[in-house]
Amino acid sequence: MVKDKATVVVVGGGATGVGILRDLSMRGIDALLIEKLDMVNGASSRYHGLLHSGARYAVRDQEAAKECIEENTILRRIGKSCVEAISGMFVQVEGDDPDFVDPWVKGCAESGIKTRELSKEEAWSLEPNLSRKLVRAFEVPDGAIDGFRMSWQNVQSAVRYGGRYKTYTELIKINIESGAVKSITVRDNVTKEEYDIECEILVNAAGPWAGKVAQMAGLDCSVSPSKGTLIAFNQRISNRVVNRLRKPSNGDIFVPHGSITILGTSSITIPDPEDTSTSWEEVEELMKTGEGVFEHLRDYRILRVFAGSRPLYVPKGADGGRNASRGFVTLDHEKEDGLKGMMTICGGKFTTYRLMAEKFCDVLAPKLGNTAKCRTAEEDLVPAVSEADKKAARQYFPSYGVNLAATRLGTEKFPEVVKTLKENPETREVLCECENVTMAEVMRIAQEPTSHSVADVRRRTRLGMGTCQGNYCAIRSAAIANKLFKDKLEGCGDSLSDMKNFLQARWKGITPVMAGKTLREAEMTRGMYEVLFNVNGGRR
Amino acid sequence: MELEERARDSADNCIACTSCVAVCPVTKANPDYRGPKLVGPAHNRMHFSDESDYEDSLKLCSNCKNCDITCPNGVSVATLNMLERAKYYKAHPEKHTQADQMLSHNFQMADMLKSIPFGRTCANIGMSIGEAMGMMGAMGIAPQRKSPRFATKYFREMYKEIKQPEGLTKEVLFFPGCFIDVNDPEVGVAFVKVMNANGYKVLMDDRFKCCGSPLVVGGYLDEARSHADNNVAIINEYAAKNIPVIACCTSCSLMLKAEYTELFAQEEMAQAAKNVYDAFEFLTILAEKGELKKVHVSSDKKFIYHAPCHLRAQGMGMPAVDLLKEIGVNIDSADAGCCGMSGSYGFHKENYETSMKIGSELFDKINASGAHKVVCDCGTCREQIKHGTNAKTTHPIQVLAKAYEQ
Ligand SMILES: Cc1cc2nc3c(=O)[nH]c(=O)nc-3n(C[C@H](O)[C@H](O)[C@H](O)COP(=O)(O)OP(=O)(O)OC[C@H]3O[C@@H](n4cnc5c(N)ncnc54)[C@H](O)[C@@H]3O)c2cc1C
Ligand code: SF4
Ligand code: SF4
Repeated sequence: MVKDKATVVVVGGGATGVGILRDLSMRGIDALLIEKLDMVNGASSRYHGLLHSGARYAVRDQEAAKECIEENTILRRIGKSCVEAISGMFVQVEGDDPDFVDPWVKGCAESGIKTRELSKEEAWSLEPNLSRKLVRAFEVPDGAIDGFRMSWQNVQSAVRYGGRYKTYTELIKINIESGAVKSITVRDNVTKEEYDIECEILVNAAGPWAGKVAQMAGLDCSVSPSKGTLIAFNQRISNRVVNRLRKPSNGDIFVPHGSITILGTSSITIPDPEDTSTSWEEVEELMKTGEGVFEHLRDYRILRVFAGSRPLYVPKGADGGRNASRGFVTLDHEKEDGLKGMMTICGGKFTTYRLMAEKFCDVLAPKLGNTAKCRTAEEDLVPAVSEADKKAARQYFPSYGVNLAATRLGTEKFPEVVKTLKENPETREVLCECENVTMAEVMRIAQEPTSHSVADVRRRTRLGMGTCQGNYCAIRSAAIANKLFKDKLEGCGDSLSDMKNFLQARWKGITPVMAGKTLREAEMTRGMYEVLFNVNGGRR
Repeated sequence: MELEERARDSADNCIACTSCVAVCPVTKANPDYRGPKLVGPAHNRMHFSDESDYEDSLKLCSNCKNCDITCPNGVSVATLNMLERAKYYKAHPEKHTQADQMLSHNFQMADMLKSIPFGRTCANIGMSIGEAMGMMGAMGIAPQRKSPRFATKYFREMYKEIKQPEGLTKEVLFFPGCFIDVNDPEVGVAFVKVMNANGYKVLMDDRFKCCGSPLVVGGYLDEARSHADNNVAIINEYAAKNIPVIACCTSCSLMLKAEYTELFAQEEMAQAAKNVYDAFEFLTILAEKGELKKVHVSSDKKFIYHAPCHLRAQGMGMPAVDLLKEIGVNIDSADAGCCGMSGSYGFHKENYETSMKIGSELFDKINASGAHKVVCDCGTCREQIKHGTNAKTTHPIQVLAKAYEQ
């Protein structure tokens, strides 16, 4: 049954998909994005969060390096509410190849990336935890970017231009009539309802799942998911991104993100992008390398481990039309395979998502007779919450919470939350004490049409992502949030199973690093939920 | 030597178990305080988000250290709080009140009065008049309280007049601390008697400065650091000569033994800490070696003991009670938590109510005990007990010195 239609349907709510949704919407093209689970279910949250300066690619791939520094500059300007405008360092430690430095410095200069050599003393004073085996250090304009906020802010920007989106809506079938895509069949993963959406052009932006989506149209698009594992530490080990200055390899990069630090990553080709498993061996490998940069790394508390898959595109032979050298490809299946109304975008990086969308839409828009220019670099993703609003909020928010909540909530929801806090003092209760999230904010996000579980609330608030990994906030928020889910949608709102699922998902990231300080925390969780609350009813 | 982890790093150990919140006396008495877990380790991770922000309720922490005592994971919660407070005042020195200034710098006042003829008598009269006129309240000091009076002779002056027996071969260096020196010198005199009776000559070193505890609590961390460096150098000098340093004030000994290292993370501080003893800790060691002078008390007079938080924070039980019991003194611990004074904390006008509320359990126990005197190692605890109960108080070393006199 046809229930909806759009000129363009974009499949995939990752960086690539949301970038395209925003770009199309700003060009005045009617677009609908569908995402099978919650927004940023794939690589765009299961990643490192490094806003590349391009320095990492300066020797191997200068074109990528140039793209990175240009996009880095643009995102710092338009994405103030999702970019942490810090800087980065490249450090060489004893044992690293000294001959790598000169070509790297030259590569950076040629790519337009500013570097500045720091004396060892300067480097240590800026980042006191750096290894005493430091040999050389350079400053570069790396930054950090939050995948959750960036993606939602793109969606919000698109919505202002008429763009639409549906989460928990999975593409399950592509309906083709006489060589052209006619409609798609989707499943609502909350209600389990299946229905059709008509469209003129279907955009496959399913990242590492792009191969699977192409298969639904009987096409062969060779995407090989490449899994990378990341370790999240409980605090900021450095205040800058720290890269190892050597030929890029595993475990080279530390990115501080808000209250935590992420170390990564590795690269293993896997058959199924759903595989986000991690192992102790991968953790050990990262830790061993990481110790080279921060020698006391093992003293720091690990919060969890997680993994995501890169959508690596493998070109079929030496096909000239498929230009893989730029890191991403745009496939027009009309040209490539004779199927009208379907295009695929694949590969690339988070940092260059905007540029990818621009290039892609430059091909797509003329097909619809639209000649509007890309404007995504000209306008901020979202307007910033005013200093006056923030100032007024200070008396109700927990300390150190205002800036974070303001960038998470944006100009619309932030004042609403402040109003709730003001009028209803009970909602000032800090439900997540590790990440400073108040009851009012949880309630506000739970009311969003896209929120169906505490995990959805987590992705938009950072609830449960700090030190105790959900120990306290799970029980505090499950009941409050589920009451709101129930009011919104029948069939939702089983707070006990939601709480258990939430904890189980946290647990997944903790099990591979169950040692030391992390183990103590885990034992606390077990003691509370298994023993005190007996949530599993004594059953194993 | 390798320093153990710095206080700042210890925040990483927090498992958010909330035990510290359950025992924090201020959290219990004053709901405005957000509690040790949040203000200490949790916020420690969040400061990046807004350097100019500050947790207002941090000013309510008394540095009593019950959080540290309870923490199962070795988080230096109170020190995290003090470091954060210091950072704030460094950026906002204008926020220091007159009361902060006075209560943190009692030692300066004491030195100044010493140099003026009749200075102390006049100051004491001044204080009485000031109290009567409500001047204390205007300065931010709790008007309900009677400020401790300056002794007409400080301990450092009295010490010079004490004739210690000839021929004592063993030596200890006494760290009197401000309260004993200027407000309660009799404690020092009793200490010298006890040590002499046990064959030790008591030395003094005029270069010692206030341990710095009131400075830390007041947010004057740089000054505290200069006191620490000064004192640590002296302690290590005596350590080289195998002369232990002994304090009768448990806040002083905690500072010298643990807080310097926690706050400033210097190896020489950790080194010095090993040469510092609380008086009864030292006497207990003597007793264990069979070297303590034997004495037996036959009087049945009942005492009640209050264990200062800063003694409990040293993690060595209650050596004074154990030792006094051992020699036959009828004494029991009140076991009633914090007295609420916590050094200068209870003297602040805005903390008065909290302070008295915290102390109420102890006051009730003392009042119901029928004891003729309250024994306590800490001078400001004794002030609080006198204020809250009208009971007579004494330092345990004075009880022991009396026993030796019999
Ligand atoms: C470990 C790791 C670290 C990385 N670090 C960095 C970094 O530091 N900096 C950087 O710039 N880049 C980094 N990257 C690369 C970057 O993460 C990716 O290039 C980028 O996020 C890809 O976004 P995407 O939208 O193409 O894919 P995804 O984010 O995976 O989005 C695809 C979406 O499609 C959805 N989907 C799939 N099938 C369907 C269907 N049938 N119906 C509906 N929806 C569907 C999925 O649920 C998913 O949400 C990293 C990648 C990895 C794996
Ligand atoms: S030092 Fe005392 S008042 Fe401060 S947080 Fe710890 S227990 Fe509470
Ligand atoms: S007692 Fe220690 S581990 Fe528990 S919450 Fe407090 S600081 Fe954290």
